[in-house]
Amino acid sequence: MSRGNTVGIVGAGTFGTALAVALARAGRAVVLYTRTPAVAEAIAATGRCPRLPDVAVPAGVTVVTDPAALAAAARFVVVAVSSTDVGPRLLELGGVVDGSHLIVHAIGALAAPDDVRVSELIARSTPVLRSGVLAGPARPDDLAQGRFASMVVASAFDEVIAEARRLLNLPPALRLYGSHDLAGVELASALAGAYTVALGLADGAAVGVGPRAVLVTRAVAEARRLIEAAGGETRTFSGLAGLGNLLVRGATDDDPDYCLGQALARGEPLGERLTEGGRAAVAGLRLAERRRVRMPLLGGVAAVLSGRVSVADAARLAADTVAAEE
Amino acid sequence: MERWSRARSRRRRRCLEYVPSPTCVSEIKRLESSGKDAHRWRELAGRLGSLDRAALAAELARLVAHYGQDIVGNFDPRVYRFATKVLTPGLGFLFSPVRSVRGGVGGLLAELDSRIQVEGPLELLRAMAERGTLVVTPTHSSNMDSVVIGLALERAGLPPVTYGAGKNLFTNPFISFFMHNLGAYRVDRRLRFELYKDILKEYSTVLLESGYHSLFFPGGTRCRSNVIEPSLKLGLLGTTVTAYGNLLAEGAAHRRMYVVPVTINYRLVLEAETLIGDYLAETGKSRYIITDDEFSRLGRIVEFLRKILVHEGAVVIRFGRPLDPLGHEVDDDGASIDSRGRVVDLRGFFAGADGAVRKDEQRDAEYTRLLGRKLAAAYPRESVFHATVLVARAVYDQLCGAAGTRDIYRLARLPPGREVPAADVVRGLGALRSTLAAHPEAGRLHHRVASAGDGAVLDDALRALATYHSHPVVERVGEALRIGDVKLLYYYQNRLAHLPTEARS
Repeated sequence: MSRGNTVGIVGAGTFGTALAVALARAGRAVVLYTRTPAVAEAIAATGRCPRLPDVAVPAGVTVVTDPAALAAAARFVVVAVSSTDVGPRLLELGGVVDGSHLIVHAIGALAAPDDVRVSELIARSTPVLRSGVLAGPARPDDLAQGRFASMVVASAFDEVIAEARRLLNLPPALRLYGSHDLAGVELASALAGAYTVALGLADGAAVGVGPRAVLVTRAVAEARRLIEAAGGETRTFSGLAGLGNLLVRGATDDDPDYCLGQALARGEPLGERLTEGGRAAVAGLRLAERRRVRMPLLGGVAAVLSGRVSVADAARLAADTVAAEE
Repeated sequence: MERWSRARSRRRRRCLEYVPSPTCVSEIKRLESSGKDAHRWRELAGRLGSLDRAALAAELARLVAHYGQDIVGNFDPRVYRFATKVLTPGLGFLFSPVRSVRGGVGGLLAELDSRIQVEGPLELLRAMAERGTLVVTPTHSSNMDSVVIGLALERAGLPPVTYGAGKNLFTNPFISFFMHNLGAYRVDRRLRFELYKDILKEYSTVLLESGYHSLFFPGGTRCRSNVIEPSLKLGLLGTTVTAYGNLLAEGAAHRRMYVVPVTINYRLVLEAETLIGDYLAETGKSRYIITDDEFSRLGRIVEFLRKILVHEGAVVIRFGRPLDPLGHEVDDDGASIDSRGRVVDLRGFFAGADGAVRKDEQRDAEYTRLLGRKLAAAYPRESVFHATVLVARAVYDQLCGAAGTRDIYRLARLPPGREVPAADVVRGLGALRSTLAAHPEAGRLHHRVASAGDGAVLDDALRALATYHSHPVVERVGEALRIGDVKLLYYYQNRLAHLPTEARS
């Protein structure tokens, strides 16, 4: 299969593997890069990825452990690693890709060290100019099982949107919408994770459907403020990357962010299990402070994560602040 | 010529759908609003509905030829080639007629030529001009820019450039003779319909593809407020990306293009009063074209040249390091380098999924925006601040501190003749120096400012600020400085408006 028709995926985590499986099942050419040789060996030996063990990886997925092999095989690259790992992975990728590559990332968080959007990090770390983001409520399980899922691809470049649709659309299983609001979709996707933690907290504390609805609507309101301050379009949060994500993930018992919220509500310690949504809450709040945007809900999530306040206090505090100010 | 006809047929094929109708509407409106006869356009508009495709194409071809001729004007490639290749360095064809005029404006201009200061990596740029096509992109604050940049290019040993000059420059008696022969083509900014803009862009693209060094003011019009242009209109700058893409598609990857950021830094600006007046009267909706400013009065230009530009270093033209058409920096060999310092091949950025170079206007528009951002970041870094700007900022800071506001509209309503202590201003100058030293990306001091004490800088600035404009901007009254024109004070200090806020305390 030609380089132009091959999808390269960086990261054999749950999303990266599920996307690779879905594409390969549809007969598309896929190269999956993992930096961990043990993962590649496990897939070769058992036909299953340790991060998504319930799903068989079709033979059509070529697994590589050399990023140069990925760059040589695919022009269109999807980066699907965790936000804590994205810095080094992009530097590594930057050494092997060139101006002909297109990169979209599927990371629902901001990136270290200074809470930048991942597309900004792509610009800093790689020579690639045509980049974008893939976001929305496509659960790895749904993708891998071929169940209905939708995502949005956002980029300043029509070409990136068109290529993402040509290479990743898998109707009826996966449908891609397009947007030019790159910054808006990246922030919406990160904030949706943070508010998923908030929904987990609320449901874990059994606040009831009324307060839950208030939480969702206030989340939409404050997210729109931050997105606008950061140069995105306010309506973007109402789309797939924001509200779409939140409605699906906040009702999914195996979603890591939702589970984290519920565990904290039960009084379990955070320990080592900080999720992308949790990190996004902390990073989003720092961004909001720099931009002088009020975000009481996000502040509440961050305060619980830091252990400074109890869930009950945070809920009361956030509700009081929101009601007093809006 | 061959490229031009190819471009015109490309345009004809593509554009039948936007045919003459919007053009007619726009031209009728323009002519009738200025009391002129528009019956030819009315007649054409009436016929349009009944024309078939072939007749429509013929009308469009006629319009393209008409506006194309208007743009091209007297530009003669032979003259351009003669000036670029034949004349010995140091003998500028463009400016030689000036020196033959004894006294008057010509003599002053010869004087000006010796007074302007040209800085930057000139040797590198001369090498780039040999290696590829230069696209010179200066900041724009005065109509004098057109003259000054011409002199600067010659002084720097760089080739002459083609550029689109506003039609009003051609009617100015002082400057028109500069314009006609060398490289200048006419841009009529009153014509705002798409057809005209597209013809203009096509012409510029063809010039660049053919290897003519070019100049664009990416800020569009003269900057009204005197801030260093933070956002650029881009306009014709986009033709650089288009032209480069076209060359790549032809397999001519060796034909490189280099975009050169340039700042033009004046001790005082000829049209400052009109520009800031216009800015404050209509912030956000400034007049796009001003025809009745200081520049239209020959006496004012002579006075400006006599009083202001005879100071050594009264205009500093600073060239920055060149960028490629996508905004990458280039190394000393002219190769593009990425943010990590590695050489990149530009062809890939224009390639489609099959690896072949692909035309894509939306992609090129986005690349142009990236280039614009890089230029906007280069301008402050390459700016040179005169004593006038530094002192205006220090005085303004004191005034704002005393008045409790930085809002110019509120300051302008204060009673005239406010005074600030000169000693405080001198201290403020010291603070501004430290801030600039800590932020090299915000610009640099004029060499005379850098080597003088704060008291001397104040005296030097007051000499300029108190004498040229209709009213003294600032003048010394005993131990105090009296502000005579707060709007002009605001105008000059705006050049430092991008300085980080800690300097504002």
